[in-house]
Amino acid sequence: MPICQTESPESDVCSPAPNGRILNYDQTGRSFRLRLVRPQMGARQLSVLSELKVGESGVLVALDLPESVQNHLMHMGFVPDALVKALRRAPAGDPTVYRIDGMEIALRHETAESIRVRAPEVESANTLPEDEEVQELTEAAR
Amino acid sequence: MSACCTPPHFTPPTAPPPDSALKTVVLIGPPNSGKSTLFNRLTGLRQKVANYPGVTVEQRMGVMAGVGREDLTLIDLPGIYSLSPYSEDARVSIDVLRGTMPGTPKPDAVLLVLDSLHLKRQLMLAAPVLALGLPTLVLLNMSDLMESRGGHIDPLKLARELGAPVALISAVHGSGLDAVPLFLHQQTNREAAKPLALPVMGNAASAHSWAAQVSKNTGYRAPLSVEGTRKIDNILLHRIWGPLLFLVVVVGVFEVVFSIGQPLSDGFGDILARIGGLARPFLPAGWIQSLVLDGAWKGVSSVLVFLPQILLLFLFIGILEDSGYLSRAALIADRVMRTIGLNGKAFIPLLSAYACAIPAIMATRTIENKRDRFATILVTPFMTCSARLPVYMLLIAAFIPNIVYLHGFLGLRTIVMLSLYLAGFVGAMTTAWLLKSSILKSSETPFILELPQYRMPTVRSLALRLMDRARVFLRQAGTVILCVTLALWVLAHVPVIHTPGGTISAPELADSAIGRLGHLIEPAIAPLGFNWKIGIGLISSVLAREVMVSTMGTLYGADPETQSMHLQTALHHDMTLGGALALMIFFAFAMQCTSTMAVVRRETNSWKWPAVQFLYMLALAWGAAFVVNHVVMAIFG
Repeated sequence: MPICQTESPESDVCSPAPNGRILNYDQTGRSFRLRLVRPQMGARQLSVLSELKVGESGVLVALDLPESVQNHLMHMGFVPDALVKALRRAPAGDPTVYRIDGMEIALRHETAESIRVRAPEVESANTLPEDEEVQELTEAAR
Repeated sequence: MSACCTPPHFTPPTAPPPDSALKTVVLIGPPNSGKSTLFNRLTGLRQKVANYPGVTVEQRMGVMAGVGREDLTLIDLPGIYSLSPYSEDARVSIDVLRGTMPGTPKPDAVLLVLDSLHLKRQLMLAAPVLALGLPTLVLLNMSDLMESRGGHIDPLKLARELGAPVALISAVHGSGLDAVPLFLHQQTNREAAKPLALPVMGNAASAHSWAAQVSKNTGYRAPLSVEGTRKIDNILLHRIWGPLLFLVVVVGVFEVVFSIGQPLSDGFGDILARIGGLARPFLPAGWIQSLVLDGAWKGVSSVLVFLPQILLLFLFIGILEDSGYLSRAALIADRVMRTIGLNGKAFIPLLSAYACAIPAIMATRTIENKRDRFATILVTPFMTCSARLPVYMLLIAAFIPNIVYLHGFLGLRTIVMLSLYLAGFVGAMTTAWLLKSSILKSSETPFILELPQYRMPTVRSLALRLMDRARVFLRQAGTVILCVTLALWVLAHVPVIHTPGGTISAPELADSAIGRLGHLIEPAIAPLGFNWKIGIGLISSVLAREVMVSTMGTLYGADPETQSMHLQTALHHDMTLGGALALMIFFAFAMQCTSTMAVVRRETNSWKWPAVQFLYMLALAWGAAFVVNHVVMAIFG
């Protein structure tokens, strides 16, 4: 499934940005969100990753983070349409461990706050990261 | 030597042609996918392996002797998530892979190691690596675990999708590794690598969807994630039990170091002393006997006796690193670290500094922010490394009475030892806070930490670690410590006195060269409660901290007044309690290690930082020792 064909593998701009990530930077390179762009989707209000309670899942929409951080997170699996589950909070309550693609990754509140998620819809839950769901069920059955 | 005793020689099945175009092979893959374990298998070397991302932070080269290809060089690289560098260690990997690293040969072939337990995500790296156009063998590591947990992959289909050979392996157990020499042999014979028609992509989202598609096409079924890890984390990352359990384990370790380590070390000391005693009749009486036994042997063995305790400590650190707990510790510590302006990731190098500051300083390469990295490098030497252990153990055994509390569960000696570790930690944290709120101020960088699944540490890997550590310790004793000891002995016996009868004899210790030097510096350290012998020890311990102990051994061994005494007794005879405690706190804070300074220089690329660090730590150590000495003297008279 070739998505784009460029000569240089390091090019980050070979395909258009996926579903409308809006990035803005101040002079120091920090990003901030445009609060306006929060389309209504699904049954529940669109929210951010940090709002997930432990045990809840969300479907990733976009990352509003500086380019390098965003790129790094995306290569760790934080890509649009991925299913993320808040697994647990650290004893001090802050970094939260998320599960994505079967990996456990810890993020601080302020990072998770810049990752937009939507509630997993019932119909998409069947088609989305299948093995994730299957796993949940199998484990529950055991 | 007779011919019958030579071991049977193993002949590799595939003899490489002499004009082989293939010379350099690189190992690449995502972090914690098992590259270094495979490197050790393929080369027969012993590169450090553990269960957390970021163990390897620099390139390591080795000859592929493990598969009978001595003509090939294998390069082990730090793990990467993509071909865009995110931290210092990833930059090295990408430069080597692209052949742009000065001093490193361009790679001719690539071994791409992917963790088959998380193949879907790990495949994202396959596309950019394959797109480099180098002959590549894809190795799906931990395939045995994947299959036993109900996972599945069709390697042939995957090979077709990727346009590169794929093999299922287990680096830990060494299974499936025959694919590597087979692949290399094919590459050696092949004329030219045919270009592969692969999707080239830099965008992470497209790489992800490509990887998802490929794993779907090849019938990849992810193995069930083990319940174990989550159950263990339910306890170890529990609000109350987590930190409490950590505390109990740490106290327990020091209790073990004392209660089991001390008798072992005493027994070891007796054996060493007996060896010295056995050798005495064979050496001509006079200065040779004195040099060898009272100088060299006494000095070196005074350090060697601490080997059992150091190994016990390393066993504990090894279990922490191999099990996967280290990343959890970083997660727990993030809250504390952020108040001082660092992030939880800096905690991993700091924890490994309990073993030794040098690898810890190199491990800071995984910290993305340069200012955070420098701050971590500068405070790392405050962490109580294992070289301080002999000094602490010696002084504690000599000065702190063996009183136990809580029905024998907690000893006063353990409490003093823990306080010293705590002092070092507080010193590190305070200094980091000072640095981060002044010269190294920076905006916060996000904390992104991958938590590996727990793994049972294998006896083999722990044993290898301990053996390596013992070897390092013995080498240190046989080189630095031996040389310092011999030099000290000579300085303690010059200038020689010519008696009227024509014979020569050694001067009184106080009148010898070393005695004069000691008396020269005594005014600077007298306020701390140290005598001139301690002063000499402090100077020589700038080379390495444990040299302090051997210096004391040699100096007290050279003094006729204390020659027959045990080193502990001799110290007790010569120092006050205030001075002893001051000496311990001095060691907690002072930067006495030339190797660390050299590494700091290399990593920060300037002499400024190690110089500042040395002076700052010296000033702090002097100040703290001064206060401790006077307070203790005021309380205990």
